[in-house]
Amino acid sequence: MPTLAKKNDKVVNEFNQYVKPVSLWADAWKRLRRNRMAVIGMWIVGIYMVVIFGAALLPFKSYTEQQMLHVNLPPSFKPAGLVAMGQLEKRKSDLTTAIEKSGRVDLKTDLVRIEAEIIQLKGDIDANPVHKRVYIFGTDYLGRDMLARTIYGGQISILIGLIGTLTAAVIGIVLGALGGYLGGWLDNLIGRFVDIMYSLPYMLVVIIIMSMLPTGSNSIFVLFIAIAMISWLTISRVVRGQIISLKNSEFVEAARSMGAGTGRIIFRHLLPNSLSIIIIYATLQFPSFIMSESFLSFLGLGVSAPLASWGTLVSEGVQGMQLYPWRLLVPAITMTVFLFAMNFLGDGLRDALDPQSKNRS
Amino acid sequence: MKRALSGLLLIVLAATLVVSCGGPGAASKGVEFIMGNGAEPQTLDPSKIQGVPEHHIYMALFEGLVGYDPKTSLATPGLAESWTVNPAGDQITFKLRKTTWSDGTKITAQTVVDSWIRSLDPATASEYAYMTGMVVKGANDYNSGKAGKEAVQIRALDDYTFQCDLLGPMPYAVDMMAHYAFAVLPMHVINAKGDDWIKAENFVCNGPFKLLEWKPQESLVVVKNDKYWDAKAVKLSKVTFLPIDDNLTAYNKFKAGEMDWSYGIAIDLIDEIKLRPDYQVSPQVATYYYIFNMTRAPFTDVRVRKALTMALDKQELVDKVMKGGQLATTSMVPAMAGYTPATGPAFNVEEARKLLAEAGFPDGKGFPKTPIIYNTSSGHKKVAEWVQESWKKNLGIDVTLVNQEWTTFLDTRSNSHDFDIARAGWVGDYLDPNTFLDMFIIGSGNNDGLYANTEYDALIKKAATMAPGAERMATMQQAEALLITKDQAVIPFYHYVNQDMIDVTKWDGWYPNPLGAHEWKYISLKK
Amino acid sequence: MSRFIVRRFLSVIPTFLIIVTLSFFLIRLAPGGPFAREKKIPPEILANIMHKYHMDEPLINQYFRYVGDVLHFDLGPSFRYKDHTVNELLGAAFPVSITLGVVSLGLAVFFGTLVGIISALRQNKWQDYAAMSVAVLGISIPLFVVGPILMLVFALKLKWLPTSGWINSRAGWTTIIMPSMTLMLPYFAYIARMSRGSIIEVLRSDYVRTARAKGLKETVVIRKHVLKGAMLPIVTYLGPAFSGIITGSVVVEQIFVVPGIGKIFVQSALNRDYTVIMGDVIVYSIILITANFVVDILYGLLDPRISYK
Repeated sequence: MPTLAKKNDKVVNEFNQYVKPVSLWADAWKRLRRNRMAVIGMWIVGIYMVVIFGAALLPFKSYTEQQMLHVNLPPSFKPAGLVAMGQLEKRKSDLTTAIEKSGRVDLKTDLVRIEAEIIQLKGDIDANPVHKRVYIFGTDYLGRDMLARTIYGGQISILIGLIGTLTAAVIGIVLGALGGYLGGWLDNLIGRFVDIMYSLPYMLVVIIIMSMLPTGSNSIFVLFIAIAMISWLTISRVVRGQIISLKNSEFVEAARSMGAGTGRIIFRHLLPNSLSIIIIYATLQFPSFIMSESFLSFLGLGVSAPLASWGTLVSEGVQGMQLYPWRLLVPAITMTVFLFAMNFLGDGLRDALDPQSKNRS
Repeated sequence: MKRALSGLLLIVLAATLVVSCGGPGAASKGVEFIMGNGAEPQTLDPSKIQGVPEHHIYMALFEGLVGYDPKTSLATPGLAESWTVNPAGDQITFKLRKTTWSDGTKITAQTVVDSWIRSLDPATASEYAYMTGMVVKGANDYNSGKAGKEAVQIRALDDYTFQCDLLGPMPYAVDMMAHYAFAVLPMHVINAKGDDWIKAENFVCNGPFKLLEWKPQESLVVVKNDKYWDAKAVKLSKVTFLPIDDNLTAYNKFKAGEMDWSYGIAIDLIDEIKLRPDYQVSPQVATYYYIFNMTRAPFTDVRVRKALTMALDKQELVDKVMKGGQLATTSMVPAMAGYTPATGPAFNVEEARKLLAEAGFPDGKGFPKTPIIYNTSSGHKKVAEWVQESWKKNLGIDVTLVNQEWTTFLDTRSNSHDFDIARAGWVGDYLDPNTFLDMFIIGSGNNDGLYANTEYDALIKKAATMAPGAERMATMQQAEALLITKDQAVIPFYHYVNQDMIDVTKWDGWYPNPLGAHEWKYISLKK
Repeated sequence: MSRFIVRRFLSVIPTFLIIVTLSFFLIRLAPGGPFAREKKIPPEILANIMHKYHMDEPLINQYFRYVGDVLHFDLGPSFRYKDHTVNELLGAAFPVSITLGVVSLGLAVFFGTLVGIISALRQNKWQDYAAMSVAVLGISIPLFVVGPILMLVFALKLKWLPTSGWINSRAGWTTIIMPSMTLMLPYFAYIARMSRGSIIEVLRSDYVRTARAKGLKETVVIRKHVLKGAMLPIVTYLGPAFSGIITGSVVVEQIFVVPGIGKIFVQSALNRDYTVIMGDVIVYSIILITANFVVDILYGLLDPRISYK
């Protein structure tokens, strides 16, 4: 289905209309800009990038600073002192109820402590500037600002997503396409190599790599390797499948009979026609890389506390969601909005790069 | 077509949300009890047990010479009706009761002898054999292959009298013997079936319950053993142990009424859990602490160790971060009957800064960026983050946090000792300060910080040969004072608490106790 | 075709051998061993244990001993779960994982293709956006969030379902609902997105245009031509997905206390339970190699344009 044919040195589409010859990329860009969802997605991704990677220059609170007086405060536009007071009063009444209703006399010491804290806070609330702070996204279990933690958390998560997706795409596409197109022993070799990589006990491989580094050394680099190592496996199988199904179609036969080389056939004819699946696959893998980071952080890979990633913030948030829903919702919604934007952008790219929609509006 | 498709889409979206309904049916006879038991039991063979989940199951299936008192955790008569200790305090004679295994075979003093010998046999490869080795004369020699089994100083004087010689006067020996390391085993089955004796179809036991079925990772069910000598005291007809290692699930399951007892506590929900009438807290003989690597600068300097310790407000940690009722401490040993722990330096930022300056790091300047290692867990992470921020705020020093998965962590801390500061926790095996102190002697396998003080070693060795009483406890306290007050080899944070979820207005006979040992025969449904 | 199958099958054996050998030596490099404990086992006792499991012999002897046992279908004893052999552990967990995996993947394929077809036919209409948003949501929210939320809503608030457990427990078959709903989500999302993409492509292809031009009914076109052509990427994906869903369900198993194989995979690696790790590797590679093998053969059946020369 090659849609472009030459006629009197003018380019025409399949309806025999003359069209202006434009490069693939310029054309794609034009179409991308016309896709409203993709443009919105692009803006959102852009804003995220600026805020998250420029966080150090922007007036956010510290993501490490702990305020023991402001532990687990819900999101609010009110000054922290007032919110904290409300929480303490609520705790006091909860404790009183528990002591009276269920006879939990052992909670009396807690009650005494809470009452002392209330008195202390009352005296302190105007004098101490700390209590004037506003936590619009609430605080966590050590009284740290959730907004700052979520923003800094995005750095590692987005990097991981991008690096994983890029390595997956590059290695996966090249190996998948070569195996699929050339077939024979090379295809078999690549296929078996993928099988072996899948089957090795991944967790232990990561643990072994970790153990070869001195204790406490920066493990972010290892994290990238660990993600890159397996990221390309599935996509290479998918690409191979696409290539196999396309390589005997008429337009490839045509290109071959015109003397096109292997590289040209793969990169100019086969891959553009598989792009749709590749882009869908890549955008879908993005979130799974972010999540695998939170799993690998269990093995000690990745950022170390007190810095957190979206994955670790979300997994911590789940544990306390019944009581402190914002600790889950803030990072989860931030992450989901970003992933949605990436998806719309991906869809737009797919449509824009689709060779069959070229020169069509 | 279009409408049909939209309709279909709605159905599909709805179908992902609609689920059918069904609940557990609870028709049963007798009293059944369901327990959330942490992890999957690694083994039922008492000689090979180690760990808490196995311990709970062991107490249902087996009974040693003595059992645990439900309130104090001290020894109560079990297979032995009574016992006497000789005047020197180094020999115990047990009088056994006449009872049988669940298959009707008699249990005699010779069974006890053979059982202990089997646990100590190098071929059995028992991990807790060292417990026996710590008290019974000759046990270590046999276990390490230095002597034959005749070296073990235990004997059957007649069918129902069992005697055992101790390494010295050990006041805690009888209480220790409730531990599964001293289990009595069905030797007639073991001799006949070998390692297969543990399979459900061969399984024979002498506890208040016997094994009904065991589905790995799913459930283990025991039912009442009618051959148990005190069977009439056993009120439960069936106990189900569920291996649930996810604490949030365990808590939700308990909350939904699907379990009767659970010790999985979702630490992030502690504010809610604490208010529940069915939350039980009791002090545990266990300590949470950090160890210094005593061979690495600047931690070779006692002023640095003291400064770091004094800059931590542990009361804040337990009140604001842990919140589960843990007891902030400056001592290594929890308070025990007859023992007053030595106290370390209290929270004092000024003094800490002064000491740090004396050690050559005024305001933390020049202090190396030290990693703290801890094993991955959200609780340990919270503590480490709090420590990091406290040191930064109070002393101006920066430390990094390094988490490792459990086995790597153990390897780093205990084998290669490749750390500066490491998290640690110790649970006492028996109620005596010795269980917390003898690991710090030179050459001990658990002395991970490589603390070396010959004076300390001498005190510990001296206490081991002393008769029970105030004088021995005073010697122990002297040793602890060296460890904590003088040398500050570790930073104790708090003593753990047992945290259990069980409705004691529904269940009788379950009491919080120091070792968390709850004998099943006492538990019954309240009328 | 048959020559292809034979050649493809022959390559399986060396692959398998490489996997087993590599894994066997690799796992011993990990720090710590199966008997690392917080309270360290005294050296004499550790020596007893090592001797019992033949771990005091040279590694190469252990390797040949192991390969010999495997050839007799004996995967050895577990170092951690001492009362069970690896065969028993995996044998008990495998049917559970297959059940959960097949149910989840079945649901994912069914709902995924359905949603994919609808949004492809209604491209850029609200149905398309709604369906694709659900799919993106399905993959964006991690399973460790979905699981506890389902439990909170359906078990604790509505009390419709038991919180956890497995089919043969007292609660019965209802226990499979939440785990399979959770586990299917990412697979559902992948399949929905991929089928949408490939259906759009097929819809524009010449043979579908021809079929439509011939005046065939739309439903026939979709069933006979579109679906068959669009299945290829999904089928390719099912190979790794099948082995992934069976062994990679550890999060779901953990949350809903499902006695499956995923938890064994993770636990054995963390415990350095060497024999169980090796058992996992063998089981996993057999599933994976078979699944990919089947997928390769299915290609030929699904797409007449593919020929194996």
